[in-house]
Amino acid sequence: MDRPALYFDHAATTPLRPEALDAMRPHLTGAFGNPSSAHRWGRQARAALDGARAECARAVGADPAEIAFVRGGTEADNMAVLGRAAVAMAAGQRPRAVATTIEHPAVREACDEVAARGGESARVAVEPTGELDDDALDCALSRGACVLSVMWVNNEVGTVLPVERAASRARAAGVVVHSDAVQAVGKVPVDFGRAGLDLASMTAHKIGGPRGVGLLYRRRGVELAPLLFGGGQERRLRPGTEDVAGAVGLAKALTLAVAEQAAEAERLAAERDRLQAAIVDALPATRVFGEEGERAPHLLNLGFPGLDGATLVMAFDLAGVAVSGGSACASGSTTTSPVLRALYGEEAEGLASVRFSLGRTTTSEEVSEAANRTIEIVSRARDLARARAG
Amino acid sequence: MAAERILVAMSGGVDSSVAAALLAEQGHQLIGATMKTFCYQEEPGPSRTCCGLDGIMDARRVADALGIPHCVFDVEEEFTRDVIDDFVSEYARGRTPNPCVRCNSNTKFRDLLRRGELLGCDAVASGHYVRAGVVDGETALFRGRDPAKDQSYFLWGLPRALLPRLRFPLGELTKPEVRARARELRLVTAAKPESQEICFVPTGDYRDLLRRNLGERHDALRPGNLVDTHGRIVGRHQGYASFTVGQRRGLGGGFDQRLYVVEIRPDSREVVVGAREALECRELRVAELNWLAAEPPADGTVVRAQLRYRAPAVPGRVQHDGDGLTLELGQPVLAVTPGQSAVFFDETGRILGGGRIATAAMA
Repeated sequence: MDRPALYFDHAATTPLRPEALDAMRPHLTGAFGNPSSAHRWGRQARAALDGARAECARAVGADPAEIAFVRGGTEADNMAVLGRAAVAMAAGQRPRAVATTIEHPAVREACDEVAARGGESARVAVEPTGELDDDALDCALSRGACVLSVMWVNNEVGTVLPVERAASRARAAGVVVHSDAVQAVGKVPVDFGRAGLDLASMTAHKIGGPRGVGLLYRRRGVELAPLLFGGGQERRLRPGTEDVAGAVGLAKALTLAVAEQAAEAERLAAERDRLQAAIVDALPATRVFGEEGERAPHLLNLGFPGLDGATLVMAFDLAGVAVSGGSACASGSTTTSPVLRALYGEEAEGLASVRFSLGRTTTSEEVSEAANRTIEIVSRARDLARARAG
Repeated sequence: MAAERILVAMSGGVDSSVAAALLAEQGHQLIGATMKTFCYQEEPGPSRTCCGLDGIMDARRVADALGIPHCVFDVEEEFTRDVIDDFVSEYARGRTPNPCVRCNSNTKFRDLLRRGELLGCDAVASGHYVRAGVVDGETALFRGRDPAKDQSYFLWGLPRALLPRLRFPLGELTKPEVRARARELRLVTAAKPESQEICFVPTGDYRDLLRRNLGERHDALRPGNLVDTHGRIVGRHQGYASFTVGQRRGLGGGFDQRLYVVEIRPDSREVVVGAREALECRELRVAELNWLAAEPPADGTVVRAQLRYRAPAVPGRVQHDGDGLTLELGQPVLAVTPGQSAVFFDETGRILGGGRIATAAMA
């Protein structure tokens, strides 16, 4: 516990960038106005909000009118799925939400909710390479859908999905397409407009921005019903007094992340590959999840045989390495991840899955040290397991 | 004692909270662990028992207050297999199980020790009211100091090899002392009520679980006859799983004397009822034995046997027979119940071992 702590959980959240904090500070202090107010305080806030919106729009290939500030990725995902279902309901149709089998719970459970409210929910399988089953996709789209949701980068294994291709198929079928781009922004090139998306979600805190603010991209002309009511903010899509400081922080972090994306992706991929190689060399029984196809540069998901995920994550914590394991349920315990099960079936069973995620502050020294400690922890665990069995 | 790294089981109740606090005070390095034994979200009703979702939150708050790391281990699969399935099959056989014994014997301590090893822990601690000591160089467990809270009855099934690595910091304390310590330490769990329910039956009615796992049509849940000790039908019942030996409730009225359940016969779905005298037992057979003492008592030894939680121990003479033993009681004991534990002590209160009551011969 005395060794320096290593943070390898940037896919969970990231430290706030000093530039974002500097940009936010005036709006947390003197410039406190409500953007809806007509007086000078209001105008000052409105100007900052509009500026942030324009900055975000530039960063993701959108028009400012296509950007709605929301409270985060989960909210944006829910708004996309449930908002589209509400549009279908209003038109007298039975809503049908289609999504891949490896979506984040914010999309997956929103689709379940569509079904629970009398609609329908359908899933499209994903290969470990990230490829979608085209026949299944076409089949799902041919029956009509209020929304197709295809995440850009999977949050557990880093698999990059063919969002553009899915969008063009959806367009051909006349189906509105959404992408959860929470783990993609800043890690792979992201341009919502060029990708042909109708809706997209992202959040600030995964890229060095503040917690509690994100954005929902809605292409012009795409109908979307709000989930909340009570104000005209964000073009009625997300009523409630705007978080100006949050929007400004998001804009700053997003602009920086996009500007640095190419160089940072190259650096992180090299470090990630080095981490992977060091661990797999020393522990050849390790299973690498997500390397079958294109993988986001910051994620490394390893499966260690014969061990328990929750205990292993705790052992990492005690060794000063912050990682994630499986997916957390309400109690905070971990279970075999539905994403791994969807991608790998029974192969994922019996493996303790550990997710390392790198970020802007990750250094080469930290990567070497994380590899050493991982090898130490897993070897010890394996020896103990053998001694017990022996 | 030298400082150790200890994995402490924290249910979110006051006992395990104080156990953790005491060990922390003694300078040990702790890791708090809460076991998630079943999926709470699917369970209707309030999560009142100690290990429910609220329990996990409370355990986490106490761990935060003590400044120790806390983790949740999902043991749902093992717990279902080792404890819940056994609980259900025992009721199906007309017996009355002790699920806490099963959990302590097979699941909780084994699992925590295994995980603790991986985390570099020397020992595992719990908030049980039981004392550990050393007798002739071997670790021995004794009744807790507080006779009203003593939990030695639930620990006879521990594998003997694990004993040296278990810590029970509450063994020397009484419940009121534990509550007082909890208040002094301002633990959020200080005023928490005692949990009496079975942790996986939050509704308090285990028959719901039996219906789910066995199906409504299982013999244990179908109506049958109440018969007297001579085999005469004296009434009807709605399923023998609702009964335990010695029970008076649920038999209906209209009898000219107080009647008790004397025996459950799953093959004929009969519940035998009789007068209080019919409950007297002088000899029982105990199976599935486990010994905490290196040397099991020799044939003819008189041990002190506890046949039910909170019941006083009574003298009984041991006669081994193959994989079990017969216990000849020095005085008649009422309502000895198959499925319950028989726990053997010596005169110092040391747990020698125990087993499950297989059959009880009525006087």
